[in-house]
Amino acid sequence: MNAAVLAVLAAQVVVALALTPLLIGVMRQVRTRLEGRAGPGVWQPWRDTVKLLAKEPLRAAGSSWVLWLAPAALVVSSVMVVALIPLIATPALPLLPADLFVVVSVLLVGTVALALLGLESGTAFGGMGSSRHMMIAALVEPTVLIAVYALSIPAATSSLGTIIASRLTDVTAVMTPAGLLAIVALFVVVLAECGRLPVDNPATHLELTMVHEAMILESGGRDLAWLELGSWLRLTALLGLVVNLAAPWGIATEPTPAGLAVGVAAFSVKLLAAGAGIAAAEVFLAKLRLFRVPELLAGSFVLAFLAVTASYLVA
Amino acid sequence: MSHDLAAQLIALTTGLLLLTAVQQLWLRSVLGSVALLVVQGAALAGLVATIAVAEQEWEALAMAVVILALKAGFLPWALARTATLTRVHDGLDPGARPASGLLLAVLLTTVAYVVSQPLIGPNPTDAARAVPVGIALVLLGFLILLTRHIAVSQLVGFLVLDNGIAATGFLVSGGLPLTTEIGVLFDVLLVVLILRVLTVRMVRLTGGTSLPELRELRD
Amino acid sequence: MSGPGALLAVLALAGVAIAVPWLTPDRLRSPLSGGASALLGLGGVAAGVAAMGGAGGVLTLPLVVPATAGLDPVTLAPTPLGGVFLVVAGGVGALAAFFGIGYAHGPAASRTAWSAYAAFLLGMLLVPAAADVLSFLLAWELMAVASTVLVLADHAVRPTVRSATLWYAVMTHLSFLLLLAGFAVLAAGAGGTAFERIAAAQASGPAASVAFVLLVLGFGTKAGLVPLHVWLPRAHPEAPSHVSAAMSAAMVKMGVYGILLTLGLLAPGPQWWGFGLLVLGCASALYGVLQAAVNSDLKRLLAYSTSENVGLIVTALGVGVLLGDAGQRRVAEVAIVAALLLVVSHAAFKTALFLGAGSILHVTGERDLDRLGGLVHTHPFTAISFGLGAMGATALPITSGFVAEWVLLQALVHGDGRADRLIAVTLPLAMGVVALTVGLGLLTFVKAWAIAFLARPRSERAANPDHAQGSHDHSITMIAGLVVSGALVVALGFAAGPLSVELARAAGVGGVERVGLLGVAFPAVGVLLEPAALTLLALAIAVPFAAYNAVLRVRRPRRDTELPWGCGGVRTSPRMEYTATSYAEPLVRIFGASLDPTRQLTVEHPEGNPLLVSRVTFSQRLVDVIEQRAYLPVKRAVLRLGDAARLVQNGSIHRYLAFSFVALLLVLAVVSL
Repeated sequence: MNAAVLAVLAAQVVVALALTPLLIGVMRQVRTRLEGRAGPGVWQPWRDTVKLLAKEPLRAAGSSWVLWLAPAALVVSSVMVVALIPLIATPALPLLPADLFVVVSVLLVGTVALALLGLESGTAFGGMGSSRHMMIAALVEPTVLIAVYALSIPAATSSLGTIIASRLTDVTAVMTPAGLLAIVALFVVVLAECGRLPVDNPATHLELTMVHEAMILESGGRDLAWLELGSWLRLTALLGLVVNLAAPWGIATEPTPAGLAVGVAAFSVKLLAAGAGIAAAEVFLAKLRLFRVPELLAGSFVLAFLAVTASYLVA
Repeated sequence: MSHDLAAQLIALTTGLLLLTAVQQLWLRSVLGSVALLVVQGAALAGLVATIAVAEQEWEALAMAVVILALKAGFLPWALARTATLTRVHDGLDPGARPASGLLLAVLLTTVAYVVSQPLIGPNPTDAARAVPVGIALVLLGFLILLTRHIAVSQLVGFLVLDNGIAATGFLVSGGLPLTTEIGVLFDVLLVVLILRVLTVRMVRLTGGTSLPELRELRD
Repeated sequence: MSGPGALLAVLALAGVAIAVPWLTPDRLRSPLSGGASALLGLGGVAAGVAAMGGAGGVLTLPLVVPATAGLDPVTLAPTPLGGVFLVVAGGVGALAAFFGIGYAHGPAASRTAWSAYAAFLLGMLLVPAAADVLSFLLAWELMAVASTVLVLADHAVRPTVRSATLWYAVMTHLSFLLLLAGFAVLAAGAGGTAFERIAAAQASGPAASVAFVLLVLGFGTKAGLVPLHVWLPRAHPEAPSHVSAAMSAAMVKMGVYGILLTLGLLAPGPQWWGFGLLVLGCASALYGVLQAAVNSDLKRLLAYSTSENVGLIVTALGVGVLLGDAGQRRVAEVAIVAALLLVVSHAAFKTALFLGAGSILHVTGERDLDRLGGLVHTHPFTAISFGLGAMGATALPITSGFVAEWVLLQALVHGDGRADRLIAVTLPLAMGVVALTVGLGLLTFVKAWAIAFLARPRSERAANPDHAQGSHDHSITMIAGLVVSGALVVALGFAAGPLSVELARAAGVGGVERVGLLGVAFPAVGVLLEPAALTLLALAIAVPFAAYNAVLRVRRPRRDTELPWGCGGVRTSPRMEYTATSYAEPLVRIFGASLDPTRQLTVEHPEGNPLLVSRVTFSQRLVDVIEQRAYLPVKRAVLRLGDAARLVQNGSIHRYLAFSFVALLLVLAVVSL
């Protein structure tokens, strides 16, 4: 059993690593096509990553070990999250359950690594991006925890695998107002955490609006490759979690090869579809002013809170 | 109608009621919150219809139709027209403070939950269990009335308040007698119409209905 | 060593540690006194470990107390719970004393200061050992007076120290008065002062509620709960750093111990007790972290963070009491374990942080983050130790803070709100508060660590550390203190299982099990956390990654440049860097209403041309809103009262004699009636 679950974890990591650049490629391609441009094709993020990995990074005078440790910490924490979150199968190791709070803490390691990197360069841009990034991360935190709290009430556990498995068996749970509210709230959070519109524009290098880009401005070569890959993996993990909570169908509940194959296929379809949907929606969205972002996050917090009260209401 | 389905429908409609009220606090746009009134009115009508069918009170079904026509149809339309006629501030209410308003909404919902406990009793029915939503709607309506500056958005607050009272009434007792309900509805209709006329005239006279600006006129 | 032996040893060591500074020559004073105090702390740890094992012993002190009715003998008998706090106080005291050997200089290394430090440590060790009201209050007062002397150490150098000490003294005595009144109510009801007797009386009803409010407010003052926290952000920055560490990491915990003691002495009370604790805790956590996030004085920031952490501890206690009353004993036990884990973890990481702040202050003479930077190159030990402390404070895996907050969140998520609507709405709100606290805490400590240690120095002093006024290089004891405290933060996180089991046993609650190698499990709520498994997973990912990265590094080594991204080609001046103030600017904007910042922006134009700008000055002042709105009016009222009292007090000796004369006449009249 344990060996099988270990295989599941490994499979999740491999699938996520393979799928992530494709997800970004699909999102970019959908967007460019909708905007009437040809676009570089869905494999461009793959090619970019491979190219960057082969290039030399630079070290500015006065920089410290944070320069190489931060990208490493970001990638390792993102891969850990991908392994922990039930993406293609729900079983977990007995000593390593996919506990929500552990997952969030591991994610925060990556958040902090990025923020430190932003300040490390000692430029104004880096500090600005880091400050905004941490502000958004801080304000997002309550919504994440409360939204999953709402989803955990019917299952009476904070283990993500169990929550998803119980939603799979009880179809009505997916459609309750509480569940819908919580998932909408989580979705807003994912957009904010992963630097998508309307919180951050992933395609901008305009100084006034940058958040994520400002922090990695000083990195190059394989450092940049790791930073990009790490950030993309976070999107895969979080978006994967949301789609699995919203539509758990297809996820494997037993670590059998056939189940895993179905799980991988279902997950790929759900993830890419969600990504394409986000990209299509982004065409119609403008970036929010930075100081309007708290309003958005306060709104998602209210949704999550209403989800909790609603789940007591109809339970 | 099966019991489970009724419970689900009550949860869905009351959820929509609360959600729209929260969104009205969230939005700055006056027309946006008027548009939400349509959804809110429809949800209220749905709630009334669900209770009517579940408890086999057929005259309440007629009530649902009236509510749908007035609260999801005529009143929002009238307000939207007023809003376009008296369009000021790019259609945004300067009194809207979404972030703090939303946090207050959380607290008010909490209060509604806590205070409604005695109303519900120890063994609540599915409908009675949703009473906090009605009370929360009343409180949120008051909040909108209190904070907004423009006449039309205050009318929106007033209608939310009224929707809250109606929802609470139906959830607690399955509705007041039909005549009372209709009387109340037409009172609301009258209020909105009179205020509408007044608003349009005031805007022609002073160029706006923003309360702080009107206060300046008096000083 | 067990039984009264350990207690006697503590008293003997305390005698030595208090006497040593007066008997040694100047040159050896700091090493010997610091060593003696460190030994005293270790003695406290030994006594605490014995007490946690149930072998605390009983020591009745032959203090002369008038044998009136209702006074039980002065006794020291640490309970297992007291043992936990003995270990915390002893451990922190020992580490801080050891660090102080190299750190203390000038007035902080005087005879008085070292003696007061030993007395302060003794007070902190006696408080959790006390088994009756009288000895508790005596120890409490010893702790308060000795710490006041220590805060005052630098009063000749910095005038702000005096006002800070005044605030501290006033708040401390307010706390003492509240405790005196609270214990008086309990002792009167029980007919004795021994804690056993009071606990046996199981006070309930209005008297118990009065005692509860008085005691919680009294202990809350010491613990730094909002709105009674005002002394913390003043006293902590002004005290010498090793003393700040002991005050923040250990003394403040005595307030928490007091609240636990109060709950143990009283019978379960009405629901509003738990609710009140929860509200008090949440308010402290949120207000503390918000102030910490926007402050740029490093030690003031840490002081506010203490308020925040105590707030989290009290939140955990509140959840425990609330759920315990609601009949959810199993979840309540998780909350109590969370509170104790938070106590231990805060002691560990706040020691590391304050010692790190002391180290920065020592080498640069600066505690303003806006003037620091780049210290990671010159002071790697301080950087790593402060970094580990910051990780603990932000609950990042795997540190003690991570384990503690994980347990707290589990308690919140497993509380069942179906039966009670109050619980149904308070638990998610509390969870939101805890989550926001964690998030803002992250911002705070990313700011504190990265601004102080990374990038380029923002001032001359930070650029040339070690050459600041009157300071010298790091001594080996300072480095040892830093390294040990930093290592403890991580070690306590990894020892999640054994630590939780021991703490639960000391608190007399069940429901905790050790799983796997080092893991902790709460079978009643069905959750577990295994740091070793998590580490293995991290290693399984990090090792292949590192190997691959090493291959890439061999192929394409890193190249040094002046600056990687030109943006104009010249390296901008350090003045262009983000500072701590600018880092927190978005927060000041968002929470402007509750922070009430005063800002001034003046733009000067060259003569004759209003379109060009020659100079821009910006200043921002943040004050403690609670202090401004709640305390200053009271202070003004007191001053007015003082002015009014001058009417009867004009300094004339004749008038004072007349007062005495009238009083004598009155007494005679009353007696004769």
